[in-house]
Amino acid sequence: MAVDTMTASPALVDETAPVRYAKAGGVLAALGLLLLVIAFAVIDGGATTTISFDRTLTDVEWALPTTACVAVFGAITAAAGAWMLVGLPKRRFKLVSGIAVAAFVLGLLFWAYSQPGTVFRAESILAGALFLSLPYLFGALSGVVCERSGVINIGIEGQFLMGAFTGVLVANITGNVYAGMVGAMVAGLLSTMLLALLATKYQVNQVVVGVILNLLALGFTSFMYDQLKKAEGLNSAFTVPTLSWGPLADIPVLGPVLFQQKIFVYIGLVLVFVVWFLLYRTRWGLRTRAVGEHPAAADSMGVNVNRLRYWNVTLAGLISGFGGAWFTIANSLAFSKNMTAGLGFVALAVMIVGRWNPLGVLAGALIFGFTTQVARDLDAAGGALVPGEFLQMLPYAVTLVVVAGLIGKAKAPAADGVPYHPGDK
Amino acid sequence: MSTDTQAPAADQPDADETPEQKPSFMRLFGRYLTEANSVMVTIYSLLLAFFIGGILLIVSDEYVRSTYTYFFARPQDALSASWYLVRDSYIALFEGAILNLSTLERYSAGTAEFGDLLRPLSETLTYATPLIFTGLAVGLAFRAGLFNIGAQGQMIFGMLGALIVGFALDLPPVLHLPLAVIAGALAGAAFGAVPGVLKATTGAHEVISSIMLNNIAALFLVWAIGTEFLHSETKSDLITKPVDESAVMPKLLSSLGESLRVNWALIIGVAAAVFTWWLLSRSTFGFRIRAVGFNEHASATAGMRIGSTYTTTMAVAGGLAGLAGAALSLGVGSSGVTTNTALEYGFDGITVALLGRANPGGIVAAALLFGALKAGALSAQPDVPVDISTLLQAIIVLFIAAPALVKAILHLRTPRGGLVTLEAKGW
Repeated sequence: MAVDTMTASPALVDETAPVRYAKAGGVLAALGLLLLVIAFAVIDGGATTTISFDRTLTDVEWALPTTACVAVFGAITAAAGAWMLVGLPKRRFKLVSGIAVAAFVLGLLFWAYSQPGTVFRAESILAGALFLSLPYLFGALSGVVCERSGVINIGIEGQFLMGAFTGVLVANITGNVYAGMVGAMVAGLLSTMLLALLATKYQVNQVVVGVILNLLALGFTSFMYDQLKKAEGLNSAFTVPTLSWGPLADIPVLGPVLFQQKIFVYIGLVLVFVVWFLLYRTRWGLRTRAVGEHPAAADSMGVNVNRLRYWNVTLAGLISGFGGAWFTIANSLAFSKNMTAGLGFVALAVMIVGRWNPLGVLAGALIFGFTTQVARDLDAAGGALVPGEFLQMLPYAVTLVVVAGLIGKAKAPAADGVPYHPGDK
Repeated sequence: MSTDTQAPAADQPDADETPEQKPSFMRLFGRYLTEANSVMVTIYSLLLAFFIGGILLIVSDEYVRSTYTYFFARPQDALSASWYLVRDSYIALFEGAILNLSTLERYSAGTAEFGDLLRPLSETLTYATPLIFTGLAVGLAFRAGLFNIGAQGQMIFGMLGALIVGFALDLPPVLHLPLAVIAGALAGAAFGAVPGVLKATTGAHEVISSIMLNNIAALFLVWAIGTEFLHSETKSDLITKPVDESAVMPKLLSSLGESLRVNWALIIGVAAAVFTWWLLSRSTFGFRIRAVGFNEHASATAGMRIGSTYTTTMAVAGGLAGLAGAALSLGVGSSGVTTNTALEYGFDGITVALLGRANPGGIVAAALLFGALKAGALSAQPDVPVDISTLLQAIIVLFIAAPALVKAILHLRTPRGGLVTLEAKGW
């Protein structure tokens, strides 16, 4: 599919000339037709999908006819696919493919929530999705900072574990949940400092060492968990209050989603823009990106490549460590062994989906958070079409599809994972 | 340019090292001990890991910690408490893994059987058996430059494949057992090929895709055990039907005592290690694996198909991990498979392969060591936290993977050929 776009050199591309996207168009058209078939052949004609606004407008419930809705969404998807097959202006491609994918997902959602007993509680689900996107967000942002500097951070999972464990421990010792968050950040920092040291000073293979650091974090936290279990009150759950922004919190949909969340949500959203600003609008960001793309060039301009990498990776640990605190403190849970359950790796996939860009990472994290939330909600409702285990597989399966579908096209920083010896090339 | 000027300088010590008389054996030996060659790095990694493990035992123990609160008043309390804690913990690990000293006393007094004496060793071998397979699965892929983190998932599918053939078919033992083992290998190979195919066709990094497949496999196992087809007919908890008597892996030492669990899977494991050695160093396929692992671009230029090498390597690796699963489900005997049967053998396979430096012989040795750690930790709990085995393993392989770190900590010399490390590719 990339062939037809590659043959024309960039200077000659006419933005308005139609381009044919055979593969994407074919897939979307097929998916749209699939939805249409489901709408008319599988779904019971009288079925309805109920949408409620459970937090603000508790008395409003929309019962929509499922067949018609799914058919409309299927038609939209199929039409978008057909347009791509015929050829559409290049600048429209992103928008059209976005609409098509969204329509397909909405069609599936309407189908899934047509089962009796399931209600799409719009406000709870969207608010939950934003909250569940946070571990992906923090992990992926940490990954972005590391990989933009040219160091692969596969150890996010381990930094999560260290943060989750230390957060609760420090909160219990000091009695202050905010001290716990700081403790989690410091634990993350110490973990990445080890990675940074090995990656820059000792030039060790970063993928191998990242995986080992994960095992080390798993072994360390599980070992300490067992040991500290014997002592009383070192692993009790702590909770942070939900912030409510007065009248803003009563706006339908927006209120519960944006103005009635825990502090983690606001820190996460602010952090996205902070990291974006730092990377693209400051001297530090320019140097960081240079070191990740072409360290020799940066070196010749007087940037100390390995020192900058060392400190960037070390400071990225603050973000992933804080992400670890989400597992325990934000969820009001005590620490348990391996409680991060591979989400650190999903965060890596989110980073790739977001193309190593903080804004892209936000979008990716929201998609994954939404998937996770819907899977949990359907699982809890019980009337799901597929067993709960398969719903729980959803984030992992989505990661697999996304990584397989995108990584060929997504381009990592050129020097990502390559140790730099001063004096090379 | 700088490398050019460095080269003669690096040769300088060599010129000095050819004096008239040969250096004495003791001097050569001492030089060997202080050099960061792969043997000494391994030994020092083990020692450092046990040292760090000891420190962690001390700081995490509540009683010992309390003796440190009055360290300056009575330091001997804190020191002796620390010493006894570390000593007793490591003795407990040793007794659980190799030889139980009190059983030895009872044996010499005539109140214990010889089989009882062998029990810790049998446990070590039992835990080492799946590790040999998963270590080979990770190590083989390593040689092709692939980091196969997916051994856990491949093992789970191997477990299910062997289990299904093990109870669903009705065959004589000569056919049933080999068929079940092969089914496990095939199931693992099929699942293992997926990240290979994805890498070959789309470029998806095998680390991420195989981690995702691990999670999917773990959830699939929970679901599969609950299905009517697999679930035990007599028990209500999450456990499968047992395999038929004709497909049970026979025990090796049952004549010496019923409690000796080590079974024929160990022999298959050693055979698999020999096979992997042959594959890597004597076959065309192995040559291709190593060539691609060294330099994929050069191999592609030489006419090798990189994509199909990735796929077949991952399939063979998956098959090896699948054998681990078969060893587990056919080895549990009359009880069925639970979600706990797989433990973490797949992930431990990574540490085994790293410690064994992706060599089949080294992998068997590493599997024995980590099997001993696991057997020791399991038998020593709750006095010693069970996760000490995971912790020690991770510390050991961290040092193995970063020999420069060991070299820096202990001020070792760089060996002639440079430091030996394992490589896996980035995105």
